[in-house]
Amino acid sequence: MTEEKINAFRQTDANLRDALRMDEAERPQMPADLNERLMQRMVVEDKKPRRIVIWPWIAAACVAGVMIIWLTPPKTEITDVVVAENKPKVEAPAAKEAETQKAEIAPIEVQDVKAVKAVKRPPVRNEQKLVAQESPVAEPVPTATPAVSEAHADIAMAEKPQKEAKPVTLTERDIPITRPENYKYTPEEIALMKKQANEAYLRWAELELEISKNNLQQTAQQ
Amino acid sequence: MAEIDIDLIRGLREQSPQAQRKALERYGNEVFALVARMLPATEDAEEVYQDVFVKVFRNIAMYDAEKSSLRTWISRIAYNESVTWLRHKRLAVIYFEDREGGAEKLTDAEVEETLGHPNSDMVQLIRAALKHLPPDERAIVTMFYYEEMSLKEIAYVTESIPTTVASKLSRTRKKICKIIKMLQS
Repeated sequence: MTEEKINAFRQTDANLRDALRMDEAERPQMPADLNERLMQRMVVEDKKPRRIVIWPWIAAACVAGVMIIWLTPPKTEITDVVVAENKPKVEAPAAKEAETQKAEIAPIEVQDVKAVKAVKRPPVRNEQKLVAQESPVAEPVPTATPAVSEAHADIAMAEKPQKEAKPVTLTERDIPITRPENYKYTPEEIALMKKQANEAYLRWAELELEISKNNLQQTAQQ
Repeated sequence: MAEIDIDLIRGLREQSPQAQRKALERYGNEVFALVARMLPATEDAEEVYQDVFVKVFRNIAMYDAEKSSLRTWISRIAYNESVTWLRHKRLAVIYFEDREGGAEKLTDAEVEETLGHPNSDMVQLIRAALKHLPPDERAIVTMFYYEEMSLKEIAYVTESIPTTVASKLSRTRKKICKIIKMLQS
């Protein structure tokens, strides 16, 4: 229907126009004070402090905090190492065995390590996997002190001929402070072990940084 | 646009109380009539009227003078607020619904005779028939015949297009005739 035809109805439909006019005339008038009430309402609403909804932000911050705590690698390993380091020192005098037993002791300790790994430390597994991905050679366990690093280097060297083909994850239990051969290293060997331990520590620190960065990125993406 | 309108819009944008009072004086009655036409009770109309102007004053920055006049923009807000109110309240009101399509069968001559030829009895019947129309249809008819708004303006107010408004008007005319016939029989 064209607009002209529709507009023509406005002229022709006189009854309809009259009816509407009468209806509008009978419609209740706007209360006189309505505008005044409206202005008062506007003033009251302007004076009201604007409510800022902050609970979604608080909730988001809590979730982010929980995720950071959950995803950050556990720091207990270092303290475990320190504790383990102290423990054998007490037992050291009692544990002076012959050099011939060395071959028998080593496999037992590795088995022990495996058992401990399977039972005790599920959260560390991820980190250990990451270590393996990043640098398969960097087997030493993260250490905080040079003494611990030395111990790791020692066990790595001691077990090299037997375990070279099979990568073994070492823990603080492998620290061979009780072994007699520890007292027989030459200064050059000790220096080399220290160097290796330092390198391993640096790699571990870099890896920690990478993991932290990755965690932060993941959190930011979420 | 008249200079007085430009001043008013500028004042409203600055949230000036004087400008707000001026806008209420100028458009208040019209908006109240539109709202009261669509809502069942005066108290409801007062509530929605206030909501409309609060919205107008708060959102005046969104008004685009190129799209419509200030009056049409305010009418659009009033129409939408009324429709929203009705939708939320879900009032149990019965309106005439031409399900059988009887109104469409009426000829143009019949419609013109009913609505066109001056007759005071017929005017009363039309007034009775208007009460059976749904609020949106009654609003469109009033905007067209009483407020003499163009199809384009009505389309802007109802968020529709002029051709839809035209066909709605044509259908509503026939519907009114059908209701009158039902009332007469």
